[in-house]
Amino acid sequence: MRPEFSPRGERGGRGSFRGRGSFGDRGGSRGGFGDRGGSRGGFGDRGGSRGGFGDRGGFRGGRGGSFRSPEGGGFRGRGGGRGAPRGRGGFGAGRKVVVEPHRHEGVFICRGKEDALVTKNMAVGESVYGEKRISVEEGETKIEYRAWNPFRSKLAAAILGGVDQIHIKPGAKVMYLGAASGTTVSHVSDIVGPEGLVYAVEFSHRSGRDLLNVAKKRTNIIPIIEDARHPHKYRMLVGMVDVIFADVAQPDQTRIVALNAHNFLKNGGHFVISIKANCIDSTAAPEAVFASEVKKMGAENMKPQEQLTLEPYERDHAIVVGIYRPPAKQKK
Amino acid sequence: MAEKSAVPSDLYKFVYSFLLENKFAKAAQQFVKKTKVNPQDANESGLVDIYNFWVKSPEAKKRKAVPADAKVVNGPSAKKAKPGAEGSSSEDSSSDEEEAAGPSAKTAPASAKVVPPKTVAAKAAASSSSDDSSEDEAPPAKKPAKAPAKAPAKPAAVAAGKRKGDSSSSSEESDSEDAKAPATKPKAAAVTTPKAAVAAKATPKKGDSSEDSSSDSEDDKPAKAAVKPATPAKPAAAAAAAAKSSSEDSSSEEEAAAPPPTKKSKPGAYSAVPPPAPVVIATKAKAASSSDDSSDEEAKKTPAKPATVKATPAKPKAPAKKDSSSDSSDSTKKAPVKPAAKDSSSSSEEEEVEKTPAKATPAKATPAKATPAKESSSEDSSSDEEEAAAAAKKPVAKAPAKTPPAKAAPVKKDSSSSDSSSEDEAQAKPASKPAAKPASKPAAKPASKPAAKPASKPAATPKAPPATKPAAKPAAKSPAAAKPAESSSDSSSEEEEAAKPAAKSPAAAKSPAAAKSPAAAKPAESSSDSSSEEEEAAKPAAKSPAAAKSPAAAKSPAASKSPAESSSDSSSEEEAAKPAAKSPAAAKSPAAKSPAAAKPAESSSDSSSEEEAAKPAAKPAAKSPAKPAAKSPAAAKSPAAAKPAAKSPAAKSPAAAKPAESSSDSSSEEEEAAKPAAKSPAAAKPAAKSPAAAKPAAKSPAAAKPAESSSDSSSEEEEAAKPAAKSPAAAKPAAKSPPATPAKSPLTNGKKAAAKAKESSSDSSEEEEAPAKAVGKKATPKSTPAATPKTTPAAKAKEDSSSSDSSSEEEEAAPKAATAPTTPVVNGTNGKRKKDDSSENEEEEDEEKTPKTKKVMTTPQTFPKANAKNVPFRRIREEEIEVDQRLANNSFDAKRGSNGDWGQKANDVLRHTKGKSFRHEKTKKKRGSYCGGAISFSVNSIKFDSE
Repeated sequence: MRPEFSPRGERGGRGSFRGRGSFGDRGGSRGGFGDRGGSRGGFGDRGGSRGGFGDRGGFRGGRGGSFRSPEGGGFRGRGGGRGAPRGRGGFGAGRKVVVEPHRHEGVFICRGKEDALVTKNMAVGESVYGEKRISVEEGETKIEYRAWNPFRSKLAAAILGGVDQIHIKPGAKVMYLGAASGTTVSHVSDIVGPEGLVYAVEFSHRSGRDLLNVAKKRTNIIPIIEDARHPHKYRMLVGMVDVIFADVAQPDQTRIVALNAHNFLKNGGHFVISIKANCIDSTAAPEAVFASEVKKMGAENMKPQEQLTLEPYERDHAIVVGIYRPPAKQKK
Repeated sequence: MAEKSAVPSDLYKFVYSFLLENKFAKAAQQFVKKTKVNPQDANESGLVDIYNFWVKSPEAKKRKAVPADAKVVNGPSAKKAKPGAEGSSSEDSSSDEEEAAGPSAKTAPASAKVVPPKTVAAKAAASSSSDDSSEDEAPPAKKPAKAPAKAPAKPAAVAAGKRKGDSSSSSEESDSEDAKAPATKPKAAAVTTPKAAVAAKATPKKGDSSEDSSSDSEDDKPAKAAVKPATPAKPAAAAAAAAKSSSEDSSSEEEAAAPPPTKKSKPGAYSAVPPPAPVVIATKAKAASSSDDSSDEEAKKTPAKPATVKATPAKPKAPAKKDSSSDSSDSTKKAPVKPAAKDSSSSSEEEEVEKTPAKATPAKATPAKATPAKESSSEDSSSDEEEAAAAAKKPVAKAPAKTPPAKAAPVKKDSSSSDSSSEDEAQAKPASKPAAKPASKPAAKPASKPAAKPASKPAATPKAPPATKPAAKPAAKSPAAAKPAESSSDSSSEEEEAAKPAAKSPAAAKSPAAAKSPAAAKPAESSSDSSSEEEEAAKPAAKSPAAAKSPAAAKSPAASKSPAESSSDSSSEEEAAKPAAKSPAAAKSPAAKSPAAAKPAESSSDSSSEEEAAKPAAKPAAKSPAKPAAKSPAAAKSPAAAKPAAKSPAAKSPAAAKPAESSSDSSSEEEEAAKPAAKSPAAAKPAAKSPAAAKPAAKSPAAAKPAESSSDSSSEEEEAAKPAAKSPAAAKPAAKSPPATPAKSPLTNGKKAAAKAKESSSDSSEEEEAPAKAVGKKATPKSTPAATPKTTPAAKAKEDSSSSDSSSEEEEAAPKAATAPTTPVVNGTNGKRKKDDSSENEEEEDEEKTPKTKKVMTTPQTFPKANAKNVPFRRIREEEIEVDQRLANNSFDAKRGSNGDWGQKANDVLRHTKGKSFRHEKTKKKRGSYCGGAISFSVNSIKFDSE
């Protein structure tokens, strides 16, 4: 299982599978994973000779091994060269890692030689996409955290970038538009915890399959494989939500968010929208695109409150956080 | 065909030398091949001198005057001649046309003949038409092959051709068209020109007009000769093949642009001129002039038949017209050529300026129209469509211009004829000038022309180039107001509005000043107008307007002048109509015309021309038809006077107090009909003749008086129609208005053909026009439907050129029409009502088309499309978005707290990367190997003020 997962988690890994697909058997054995992949030559070669999986496994395996035997400090190996000096130590600090809560509720920072953004793993013992897990033992309780890579998640990038509010906190009901494979959704699931809910909407069946696998392990995720442009198709599944997070990267994404907000977002609820300038108009300056989108939000009863660039984690991206139908009095 | 060989013109040598002198090597070669003339370069007397002599000679005037007589007398002969004459030069052509018309057999004569017929038809079959026809014929005669070529063209023209079957001039035209679609087009152009020439000749002031006409005829002849030479060139062109002579001209113009055409025209002019001159000298005086032209043509054709001659006689008026038409054709041709060559005066210049290519094409188209009429027209149309309506228009304009001259010749021939002639001349001269005309003109008309030309040219040129023309025209108009010229100028100006205005105004100014003497001046004006029109899309309109106006003015004058009337009537049904004064005219056109008696007539003529043009369906055909129609009307009228038989329509018109009017109407109808297919038989030849006659008539009227304007208008209309027709033809190809037009025109024609086809036709045309717009529009409108746009067009023609595409033309035409509106309205109402019955469809279509054309004009379409296409799609318009200063930079470095941030290292790496490398670097970061250091809790986002 681990092996399977790890490959999936690794986007690169996916690529490798794909590459391998050419070989035939391998690809077949790989099944789903193969499909997903990106495309990475290097792996392909290796896999080819040996069998992707095995290979991968080997690669990861090393790491995996570290995971399994991480008893020491709760840090899993990050794998790779970095850890080399220390042997296995995961985050720099190796065994001595201190996890402290972030300004945003439900988010933690693992302080060590190298700081890392982490969330408390809801499904202990499992990695969703091959991310590192850090388990901390406090007394007899063992708490496992998962590393949250800002290069893979825009929400993480926003948090690391210094966004003021994400409005996603434990117990919150979140609608996640553009859930994709569920990597970020898994972290949102960690944040909201058992009391919260995450409605993960994804239109792609291919990535929706992974999303479903994630949802199987996490009870607070409700996967919805539908087009977010037609909220009436899943209105029966969704109740009122506190926050809408959107990462749909569509030219009409503001409209999409507005549609869902009108249907499911409570008054005074918040929205967090990641804007990819190139998806809206690749010829215009990103700043102009963002300004344009912000302006559109205003017309949909969505009041933007803050904007933050996602550099350097994403290029020409910005995240806008705002409030939906703010109470008149509040304003004052 | 044999005729040519059999009847080598004395002028050929001169023509040849002229060509050589002017460095028209190809044309010269072709000319030699066809004529087998011994080059006598030694004879420097040259065409120019001859021309001048001819122009100056009193006889020339007589010729014009004679025309009427000649028409009557000659009428028959001309017809006869046509059959045989085809071989001969312009006369032959005319005869051919006549023959074709009359004897359907003639059309058959041979593809070659047919072609001639067409050309003839284009020329109006009548005397004027003879020139055109001669050109056409000549080609045929000279080259049967041309006929084949024409045949191709014919397809488009076919419809016209069918009608041609009919016998009347229209039939001729149609025949020619049918026979040689290509040819037809050219013919149409030629016809128009011829008409103009004819008009000039026919008219009264044969002298001037005759000169012009003669020159025209010469041109025509040359054209024919040239045609052959040209033909080769044309072959290259495509259209070319079809109509040899005309097509050649047109094609040559289009293709070669000016040079070939010019050469041809010149040669033709020379050849033609000589004959005319001789004739004149002979003393035939006025009649002679027209007759001469016709005779020349006939002579050529003669061989073929006396009928031709008769036709010529009958044509006398018509001949004159033909001359004018021929001139116009020549001029048109020349114009095209001119651009390349010379002066081409304003028109050429304008054309050049505006659209050299387009101009060339247009010019060609016009020429083609005049001569080849259909072919040329078709070519033109095609070219127009392709290149620009402008070119087509220009030709048209020229044609109109020519007509005017003819008209001027008659009564106030000076003014009107001068106008027309001037126009023709201007065009022709410019073009031809390089070669013979330049010289000749200077000599004979020269003085006047020169003056006129200079003025006109300048004006024209300016006008053409400028959109201002309208303004210019207005100015011109005001001057014109005083005289017929004014009216013409006005109308022209209106039509032309933009470009033409200027040109016209000059013309107008000139015309007034020059009056007739100015024939040259006027011609220049007219030419300028026409040229301007042609050049400018607007010009067509301007011309038509001018025509309309002048007609109105001219008509009244014409009315006053009985002689003129007869000639004018016959020559210009429109005029007759205009004459409102003339009860007939009034009666007929009146209804519609009454508003603008003259104009109505014009409108009617226009309509007819338009219809014709429309009929040509194949625009070329249509054009030629249009011209023919115009001519035919004239012819019809003249016929009425001269050869009723030939033109029942004419008879009809005659029947009317002013046969001319009725006849003109009928003739116009006939013409139209003829054009369509041979529409009504009577129409057929009559049409052919009438067209010529019509034009001539128009011209004669013009000549007689303001008639010119009417004639101009008619010519303009015709031209416009032709262009339109052409454009339609092109359009058809394109599928635009052309189809509709043709269809309509046929309908109209058919209807017209029916009993009072004329009125109905005129009405229809009027109606069409009316919808389109006032006067100018009317004419145009009528033509618009099918031809209407075109006719109107002279302006339209321009439009055509610009819009040349049928749609564009129509649209443009519409705009123009709008400008013209006044007259059109009247006509439109009258004509419309009548026609409505007969052909509501047509009208509607026409209206639609016309309006569109006018409205659209060249500019609209062109610009919008271009603009629309060039604007890239964008969701975000940066210039329209205000970016908050704090958000103006989305980079990491611009962010607060960027220094020492966990992502700084990543930024250092990633900011230098792009595309694939960025992806690669980022992928490495995703693996988890990235170490950013300490993570801060600081808030770095940018808050929106709200709240």
